Amino acid sequence: MLSIKNLQARIGEKEILKGINLEIKAGEVHAIMGPNGSGKSTLASVLAGREDYEVTGGSVEFFGKDLLDLAPEERAAEGLFLAFQYPVEIPGVSTTNFMKSAVNEIRKYRGEEPLDAVQFLKMFKEKMSYVNIDQSLLSRALNEGFSGGEKKRNEIFQMAVLEPKLAILDETDSGLDIDALRIVAEGVNKLKSPDNATIVVTHYQRLLDYIIPDFVHVLYKGKIVKSGGKELALELEERGYDWIISALGE
Amino acid sequence: MLYTELTSLAQKEALDRFKAKGFPTNKWEEWKYASLKSWNEKDLDWTPAPLNETSSASLQTQNGNTSFHGALPAGVEFISFDAFLAANPTIAATWEQRLPILDQNSLYDLNTALVVNTLVLWVKAGVSVDQAITHDYILSVAKASAVQSRLIVYLEADASLTLIERAYTKADSAEVLSNFVQEIYVSEKANLTYVKEQDLAQNTTHIDHTFITQLSNSQVDLFTFSLNAAYLRNNLHFYSDGEKVVSNLNGLYVPGEDQLMDSHTVVDHRKPNSESHELYKGVLLGNATGVFNGKIFVRPDAQKTNAFQSCKNVLASTRATMNTKPQLEIWADDVKCSHGTTTGQLNEEALFYLRSRGISLANARTLLLLAFVQEVIDRVTHEETKLRLTDKIITKIQTSLAI
Repeated sequence: MLSIKNLQARIGEKEILKGINLEIKAGEVHAIMGPNGSGKSTLASVLAGREDYEVTGGSVEFFGKDLLDLAPEERAAEGLFLAFQYPVEIPGVSTTNFMKSAVNEIRKYRGEEPLDAVQFLKMFKEKMSYVNIDQSLLSRALNEGFSGGEKKRNEIFQMAVLEPKLAILDETDSGLDIDALRIVAEGVNKLKSPDNATIVVTHYQRLLDYIIPDFVHVLYKGKIVKSGGKELALELEERGYDWIISALGE
Repeated sequence: MLYTELTSLAQKEALDRFKAKGFPTNKWEEWKYASLKSWNEKDLDWTPAPLNETSSASLQTQNGNTSFHGALPAGVEFISFDAFLAANPTIAATWEQRLPILDQNSLYDLNTALVVNTLVLWVKAGVSVDQAITHDYILSVAKASAVQSRLIVYLEADASLTLIERAYTKADSAEVLSNFVQEIYVSEKANLTYVKEQDLAQNTTHIDHTFITQLSNSQVDLFTFSLNAAYLRNNLHFYSDGEKVVSNLNGLYVPGEDQLMDSHTVVDHRKPNSESHELYKGVLLGNATGVFNGKIFVRPDAQKTNAFQSCKNVLASTRATMNTKPQLEIWADDVKCSHGTTTGQLNEEALFYLRSRGISLANARTLLLLAFVQEVIDRVTHEETKLRLTDKIITKIQTSLAI
């Protein structure tokens, strides 16, 4: 599904990604962990197409297409989704309103008929139940005055509506209490299928108690320095990152 | 110019004053960004003929000739200014001493000299007009012309009226300068809602002077929606001349390619305990130029005044320009006044967020711009007008961004 080869990126003069290699197949959950400043969020942003970053080398293929050549909206239409670490507040735009535009633009891209108001209502109702979110929140200006939990639930609601093939959750656990974390994780798990994949970017192991990864990768100074199964996350929780870093001779 | 045909001395004097000054140029402080210099050189028809439009709309101004079509609502009269003064000797006695029109400029004189007819829409005491009165302001001339129009709206005590003005140029019209003066009187406890929709053609220069005097306990909600015209200038003056007066000024301008829109507002607080709220927003497209100049005066007697002014602009193109100048002159010491102007671009983070959900750049920008202007549109309570405006603004923004 996703094939990242020797990906390098910088912001301004600062090199952040220094050669990332990663293969992701349908049905898999990958966790990307690492200390602060290791490049985790940069990787998520580069994949989603944030223009602040300049890709200086390497390639990313998504279902055989050159992902880096696509605009952010085309990546979304191809089935990529980024759940934001800090969801943006947009005054005057409600979730319901802009998600209708989003769904129909994506359907148009794929050559599908647009949904009408009744079909939206039905679909939204079903997806709302995934993350226990209610209509009043979706009618309000996006993220304005939302609590941390509401913002993240709203992200997962959007993910449920868009049904991406690859979802990237960027520090989705940050700012969440344990109940909100559980609701968000349950939402993600309900959306899991043999046809889609998930990248969980996280600093802490605790989200991985709820979203069980198949693979865990440790990102350090812009490179994946260690990969393993879910037990690696537990080991990191226990021992921190230092033992990996010292094994690198640094 | 048709000097010999002018009947009254006042008209001749006004024309002399206009001729001495000519059209405003950018050397005039208040017209710095909105010069009309080129009109001094043009060969113009100064009294274009009216059209013969018939419509179900009630009030109509055709090339400066104003008339009322259909039945007047009960308690409303529509009569000549002379007849109005004859019927109201007390108003007639003090008319010349009415509040000064602060921005005395050559265009007011030009209007005084050459206006064809001055009519008064007169709402009697205690009359609440249920249905909004539509005012179609139509321009259509055979050759390059200057059109002078004048309308007086007089609301007696406890009267209430909604006026919807739709200014437009007919498709086959030649180049036209329209100079529209309105004097509006809102007596004690009277209530006026006035929506101006200015959707004129690219060959049209439109100058609107609206002078509003409010007495105690009256409320005016005024909206100026500036949609299209090569040149649009709004001189909007409020004289808050009573206690507990509420003046709401709402403005939205969306100038596009080769368009200039200039809003000059004055709110003059002359008595205590009144409030004014001014909200202006602009979206500037293409190589548009926008101007906002908002003055607030709080006179020595006007203690406990609450006067607020806000002007926010989005430059939706790198070629657009916005000039803003808020001015406060406060002589009373116990007042609450604020003003703020901002001019910026769309939030990049918000654009990326919407795009990451599959919304194209053009649509994401349209969504954000509509969200920005919605605050002003939503204040219009007349549903049909609100829908029509929303529609026109969406179309204009989408068309401009698609280029």
